[in-house]
Amino acid sequence: MTDLVPLPDPTVHSEAGSSTEEFVAEWRNAAYNCFSSGHKFCREVCPVTQVTRNETWTPTAFHANVVAMEQGDLTIEDVAADYVNCTGCGACELRCPNTLYTGDFYRFRTRTVDLVKGVRALAVENGIHQPGWQRWNELTDQRTHEPVLGEQPVGQDQVRDWADGLNIPIGGENILFVDCEAAFYRTSVPRAVAQMLQLGGYEFGLMQEQWCCGGPAAEMGYVDQAKRFARHNLDNWHASGAKRILVLDPHDYISFTEDYPKYFGAEFDLEVVLVIEIFAEMIRDGRLTPHVPIEKAITYHDPCRLNKRKGIWKEPREILRAIPGLDFKDVDRVTQWSYCSGGGGGLPIEKPELTKRISDVRIGKAAELEVDTLVSACPWSERPLSASGDEQNIDVTDLHELLAESLGITVGGRRGDT
Amino acid sequence: MTVTESLAQHVVDSLVAELAPVLGDEHVLTSKTARWNRARVPAPFPVHRWSERVPDLVVLPASTEEVAHVVRVANKYSVAIVPRDGGTGLTDGAVPERRGIVVDVKRMNQIHEIDLENGTCTVGVGINMLKLNEVLGKHGFIYPDDPASYPCSLIGGRIGTSGWSLVGSRYGHSRDLVLSFDMVLPTGETITVGDGGGQKLTKSSSGYQLKHLFMGHQGTLGIATRATLKLFPKPEAEFSPFWAFADYETAYRAVGALPRAGVATFAGAVLFDEWKVDYLRRDDEAYIPQPSSVKALVCAVAYGNEDEVRAGGRRLMRIARDLGARYLGDEISEGDWAARHDRYATPLHGRTRNGQVAPMSWHCEDAAINYTRLPAVRVAWHGILDRLRRDYDVFDDWGMFAYTSGNTGLDYLTEIDVGIWEQELDDRAWAAWVDAKREIAAVSLAHGGSISACHGSCREGEVDLVPEELGGAYEVMLKIKRALDPNNVMNPGKYGLDRAYRTEDS
Amino acid sequence: MAYRYDEQSTPPAAEQVTDVAITRFEHVFEVDPRLMAEHVTQQTFPNWDTLRIVRSRTDHLAWMHAHWCTTVVSGEELLAELDAE
Repeated sequence: MTDLVPLPDPTVHSEAGSSTEEFVAEWRNAAYNCFSSGHKFCREVCPVTQVTRNETWTPTAFHANVVAMEQGDLTIEDVAADYVNCTGCGACELRCPNTLYTGDFYRFRTRTVDLVKGVRALAVENGIHQPGWQRWNELTDQRTHEPVLGEQPVGQDQVRDWADGLNIPIGGENILFVDCEAAFYRTSVPRAVAQMLQLGGYEFGLMQEQWCCGGPAAEMGYVDQAKRFARHNLDNWHASGAKRILVLDPHDYISFTEDYPKYFGAEFDLEVVLVIEIFAEMIRDGRLTPHVPIEKAITYHDPCRLNKRKGIWKEPREILRAIPGLDFKDVDRVTQWSYCSGGGGGLPIEKPELTKRISDVRIGKAAELEVDTLVSACPWSERPLSASGDEQNIDVTDLHELLAESLGITVGGRRGDT
Repeated sequence: MTVTESLAQHVVDSLVAELAPVLGDEHVLTSKTARWNRARVPAPFPVHRWSERVPDLVVLPASTEEVAHVVRVANKYSVAIVPRDGGTGLTDGAVPERRGIVVDVKRMNQIHEIDLENGTCTVGVGINMLKLNEVLGKHGFIYPDDPASYPCSLIGGRIGTSGWSLVGSRYGHSRDLVLSFDMVLPTGETITVGDGGGQKLTKSSSGYQLKHLFMGHQGTLGIATRATLKLFPKPEAEFSPFWAFADYETAYRAVGALPRAGVATFAGAVLFDEWKVDYLRRDDEAYIPQPSSVKALVCAVAYGNEDEVRAGGRRLMRIARDLGARYLGDEISEGDWAARHDRYATPLHGRTRNGQVAPMSWHCEDAAINYTRLPAVRVAWHGILDRLRRDYDVFDDWGMFAYTSGNTGLDYLTEIDVGIWEQELDDRAWAAWVDAKREIAAVSLAHGGSISACHGSCREGEVDLVPEELGGAYEVMLKIKRALDPNNVMNPGKYGLDRAYRTEDS
Repeated sequence: MAYRYDEQSTPPAAEQVTDVAITRFEHVFEVDPRLMAEHVTQQTFPNWDTLRIVRSRTDHLAWMHAHWCTTVVSGEELLAELDAE
């Protein structure tokens, strides 16, 4: 046993320095690690770069800018707007040789997603706002939920509407957390999830007072708000005796397994479980048996936050292969490192046209396979993908909706149309 | 070195006014981030001097016609133009040494045609080989141009640098694989360059053979925009044995014997010297556990039909075994080879003299050296690096490779990798490095080699020796440059080509 | 893969492998952390992230083989054939 240097304490990690100097001091080595390589392996997997071909908006440029800031050549004012052009998909940092070949060895990997969040936070601290994001977060703050329905109300009065008629209790050890997009916009997803958990005999309840997870605010640079929302949710879980949080949305899964641990350290003592993994296990041990044939030609869209950022790609395929009747034309998960819906990282709020181009490309890949349906497992991807799918005659379905259908469940709810 | 002043704002405004109506406002960029990020290539350079090479504006054309328009405007205003594609080159061809307009051609990444009958495809030069092969693979084809930047470098850069391919001993290098291309000349005219007048020919004797001239010029003779490429059947099988040797000399014999065996599927062999093995022991999972008796490595690779690869592979295995090599096993062999398609160095390989990890940039020397001269070049180069590292704790010797350039074992891409800690690289250390590069290049020439087998030889230091290397041919280069680029707008400052304009100007 | 902070933030015990490398997870080498004390310090690395990278690397290398060819010929097989001659 060697005399090891202790790992850094995550609780003292700040999202961004209070000034450019502090920020640069925190990021200089990480940024230089990318700058000095100059590989640019990120370029061809980055969804934004793939459609814009603009080197200013490559992940490596996002790192290089920090080096230039250290040299005094660039300021936060110069760079802030460029950092809108990121979906937070994580392809760049995974594909980077500094992660893929040596990240585990050195315990030092490329962290473009964190860097982008950091620069966005630095911009907000310096009073530089992107108008769409500022408005979005003001409304989120007012309503405790993201304004995913535009002017239509979202808030505590509506947050459990999706569960009408399902007799789900409030509280308990296992809490099903439903993200804003699913709770208000694509309500068929949480309805499918809840009914499958019930069918499989898994006890769970809903939160007493659920707020947005805070992840989107953190992604757009509104860190104080993100932490406030996280604090509310953690306190609420603790107060109600929750032990385990069940998550259906990959974005929430990131918030709870990456952001909350950074905010709270050991105080964050709950277990976080992705429901896809529960359903795969239930199918494996016979608690759920998909039996209603679904005669569709499908392909699967690996949600970025599951595949690239968490390495979760087997269970969704296991579930799809258990559904009778499907003609499943799979594209492997490494090829899909360069696929994205464009729906993440706040991009659709600031640059919907860019999200649309990314979604169009993704749907185009599905069309080449001559499928009629693209199955995703991320509510945030399903809105832009559906819009592109409508134009190319490809239906976009959620994995949970599809599985529920094959289990004979009448899901109910809405698939998103407002 | 003199630093070029930025253009006056009114000139930039005039350029934008001429360019934007044709290219679209969103494709003429003047923001600082747009410009700073087009001044970067992987070749090490002192970070504190980054701003010296920042262009005045950046354009993102979408067609040959748009490129031609940019070139004509640049001539009108006598402003420098610097072609840029992937920006992954290990020399500095894409660096705007005289500022001006960077012509970034990445938007031209369409596949225009796949000719399944003749086995060609025609693409925009902004496309990447891996991405292209994802499409070609569905048709059973491959475009086997395979640099270590295979997943990120782009066709235009391969043309501009006349790239070298890891599997070139089997399939040829960029110059063999690119059949023809459209080229916007420094005065704005467009020509098609290839073998003869056809665009899909591998051999013609009609007229001057200009294809070589317009490949590897580092953007000093124009901008390629669209290229027709030679395709091969996607190989059925691959074989990539790695062997350990107890001494350099035996490994050296092996890396000569393998190509000389005449195996038709042979695609390349690589020699790793003792410094390289030590370097790999720092952080490579395949080599950390190797016993200290391992002093050198050799790998070979073969591609083709499975029966032929197996038969040839048996011959290669016998050669290595008879020389006393130890086969490292399938797991290491397959894993290491698969990683060589994207084997750029990573900064944390760097170590200071006391063994601490320091983030270092990668400099890669890439001389072309005959087989018989490899041992002597190796000794001389490590000597240069040893002196440098003793004087400055910002340099690190990452060892040497020798790769077959062809299938007969005649000449080798001879590489010494150097870690350079740019964060700490002051002007004194940089000057010492430039001197060292001159010395490294001089060793190559003294042994009858060429300064560069794949990247180009226009980096500071080594570039001074190019006239010596080329002799009278360099004078012809100057005449060609002057004839084709009368206003010296096309990537000025490279290869000492300013000399072409001195007589009359001075 | 249920996530728990305490599990994920406690890496397995380290064993020294060479002067400069250790191992914590089976078949996964890491730098001896003493080498990252001066110029670059290590990042917070939950266990899942180490394993994600290791598995992704394996997947990527397998993908690269499939990208270039259909089959990979085994040197061990060829050597066994030669030795049997």
